[in-house]
Amino acid sequence: MMYVFAQLSREWRFMLRQRYILVLLACTLVVSGFSVFSGLSEISQQNQTIERLKKADETDRSEVQAKYDDSGYLAYYTFHLTYSEPSNLAFAALGERDIYPWKHRIRMLALEGQIYETDAQNAELAQAGKIDFVFVISALSPLLIILLFHDLYASERTSGRHDLLVSTAKSAAALWGARASIRFIAIFACLMLPFFIGATVSKTALFVVLEVTLYCFVYLLCWTLLSLWLGKRATSAPRVASVLLGAWVLTSFVIPILGDLSIKKGVDSPRGGDIVLTQREAVNDAWDLPKEATMDAFTEMYPQYKNNVSIQGSFEWKWYYAFQQVGDQQAAELSQAYQSAAQKKYELAGYVSLISPPLLLQRALTRLANTDAIAAHQYEQNIRAFHKQLRETYYPWMFTNTKLEKSEVLGILPRFEDVRSQDVGAE
Amino acid sequence: MSKASFSKVISVAKDEWRYWVRSKLAISVLITGLLLTLSSVIATSVKIHELNHERTLLQNSAEETFADQPDRHPHRMVHYGHYAFRLPSPLSALDPGVDAFTGNAIFLEGHRQNSAMFAEQREGTGLTAIGSLSPAFIVQMLAPLLLILVGYSSVSRELESQTLSFILSQGTSIYTLLVGKALALLSVVGLIMLPLVISGLMTLGQGESLLTALSFLLAYVTYLAAWALIVLVVSTVVSKNSESFTALSFIWILFCIAMPRIASTAAETTVSMPGKLETDFAVIAELRKLGDGHNASDPAFEKLKASLFEQYNVDSIDELPINFRGAVASASEAELTAVLNRFAEQSMEKELEQTQIARQFGWLSPMVAIRSLSMIMAGTSIETHHRFLREAENLRFAFVQGLNKVHVEQLNYELDMNRGKSDKASRQARVSSDNWKLLDDFVFTVDDANTRLRRSSFAFLQILLWLALPLALLNIAGRRAQ
Repeated sequence: MMYVFAQLSREWRFMLRQRYILVLLACTLVVSGFSVFSGLSEISQQNQTIERLKKADETDRSEVQAKYDDSGYLAYYTFHLTYSEPSNLAFAALGERDIYPWKHRIRMLALEGQIYETDAQNAELAQAGKIDFVFVISALSPLLIILLFHDLYASERTSGRHDLLVSTAKSAAALWGARASIRFIAIFACLMLPFFIGATVSKTALFVVLEVTLYCFVYLLCWTLLSLWLGKRATSAPRVASVLLGAWVLTSFVIPILGDLSIKKGVDSPRGGDIVLTQREAVNDAWDLPKEATMDAFTEMYPQYKNNVSIQGSFEWKWYYAFQQVGDQQAAELSQAYQSAAQKKYELAGYVSLISPPLLLQRALTRLANTDAIAAHQYEQNIRAFHKQLRETYYPWMFTNTKLEKSEVLGILPRFEDVRSQDVGAE
Repeated sequence: MSKASFSKVISVAKDEWRYWVRSKLAISVLITGLLLTLSSVIATSVKIHELNHERTLLQNSAEETFADQPDRHPHRMVHYGHYAFRLPSPLSALDPGVDAFTGNAIFLEGHRQNSAMFAEQREGTGLTAIGSLSPAFIVQMLAPLLLILVGYSSVSRELESQTLSFILSQGTSIYTLLVGKALALLSVVGLIMLPLVISGLMTLGQGESLLTALSFLLAYVTYLAAWALIVLVVSTVVSKNSESFTALSFIWILFCIAMPRIASTAAETTVSMPGKLETDFAVIAELRKLGDGHNASDPAFEKLKASLFEQYNVDSIDELPINFRGAVASASEAELTAVLNRFAEQSMEKELEQTQIARQFGWLSPMVAIRSLSMIMAGTSIETHHRFLREAENLRFAFVQGLNKVHVEQLNYELDMNRGKSDKASRQARVSSDNWKLLDDFVFTVDDANTRLRRSSFAFLQILLWLALPLALLNIAGRRAQ
């Protein structure tokens, strides 16, 4: 035990004397720290935005509800805020939240016309990508590992100390093991320390932190062992590093890009524009169609209103909202296909990531943080469910129970409760 | 330079090439680089060509379906709406820029400014989060790595094997040696650039101006030349191959991997942008003050009523020779659009401000500099997207007001007011479908060459600095090595 400790402490002192390693470690700490800091500030901004939106939405809704008494006008002018809160781990894995929307205001009109609206961030910045902790670990840290470990043997060899070192050490494993361990512990600490601080600040659950730590540990260890294994057999350090860099380029870029191309070719998806177009055409045509055509299509989904579909005069709100719903029904098939194509693509990408470790880690962590495409899809489903509830609260008032008091209906209007089913670290 | 030293330079460059051909690593790196650039150029060109074709078709079919609509109440057509598609610029075959990140179609309708929908990135697999197959990405990010891999040992190798003093003692000056090595690296740059140059010149046939195409290519050559010099400088100032390699890899990680993302993250952290949803609340509050344009009896339109009465010298709406409802719709659309445009301009300004901050990081990393320059030149930067938004808005306003004019002039007020009484009355309150021919053809073209040049001048400066800096350092290093 004492021997191991002595070995480690000697290697620790040896590392402290190597300036370039210290520079590398300092840079690692700074970049990892920056990524966590900016992640925390991004998430706090998102949370603040949601809070502000909630307030503004509340005020806006009560104003509208005071202004109108008629069911049709109320449904037309009342917007409802929906949102998806960032999880406690989102600061480390911002994920796809800059590409998929996480806030929407919807009303009782045809949903297919509203749900694709984006409240996107700056496109030019999104194109550059963000530096979050996941990026630092999955893409950047392998490069740092390569720089630290590729010349562990070769540098001693070229400086002529290799044979001396090997012959004076008690065992080769002790010598190289101690040196590699010290470097690994140092880089691991520099990478993870900011994450631990961030996790404390955002109150991430302990088991989630441990899970992330385990994934990162295994991932970094694999790159380290690969670097050491290749480094042990070669004499020229740059040659080893070139091969390792090649492996990095292959797994980070080439495989994902090829996978992306072939998945896009392989999965047929309707164009998003066609969904909106179908829905718009349906809604617009309805004005000119015989009203029975609309009402029949509507009562196919809602047979309980079969006896309440006669329309007085040329306009009634129930007809208006019926053809909004029929517009959604007509676009439903396309919309379904569009959604399942998106899911299929993400699923297939999972297979590609099996041969691309950086991607595998990214997917694992964004899943854990609930910031991936699956989370975005889940949020969309929540909106759809909420829209359905909203319609079904208004329908009785418009079709059967027209004598209802306004306050009775407003009292039972659904509220968007964020279903954070897969949230991590819930208090 | 004398003829003799010129031939010496050439022979140094030739020796370097001979070394590369002998070393399996260097030659395989070169071939990989060439293949990557070539395949990315071909794949992206094909894709952009398809996109161009598809969006032109969609634009035309949108215009046709609009014109083919039956007789209707003109306001129905205001809500029926229209689409505007952003056509990709010729140079976007080399740098697609924000194309996949902004939507590229906007639905245009009365009373609303919709955002662009269906950004391609949302339909993707999430696999291209770290990088994409665009030539711009390959050349900006991976080409420098290739230059490092083939060039890190160009001078340090001679130092390590102690051949440098031998070469110098034979009468080859250190400068000849450096220029020769630089020439060899520059020939690699030329090789990597070849597919880009061919594809870039092909854009001339698609209407790209010679000036922009050439400056675009020149910028890339300068960028890669800067990297070649950086490689050479580091290889000269350190004495060991492995040190040179480590230092260069570190520089590459910093400049190409970390800095672009640090730039965008820093920009977003310093300038916070309220999302569209949040500004919408402010917009709604402003709009409430204006009154509802569907409701001609809204008290907000009393003033309009009075001025129309005065203009036509009448005392009641029924006596007006025009349709008052149409006049209200038209007036309220104009006021509403003014409010919407004010907020839209504000948010575009904010977005531009963010982008400018990110672009300042071009002084800290050549990759950030070439990235902004390339997008601006290709017409795939945020500025061009903003212009698309503005032009789409003009198109929207023009057709809505055109329809409102039809509403004012061609639809009788009484028929219009009675349209809800019965189905028959509703049929009478319509105008002929001939009026739907009022749409302007919408073809989005990229900004002209001068605008793009002016916008990118700062980035040119940044890149020139990145060329001058290693040049100066090389000069110093050469003097020291002598």
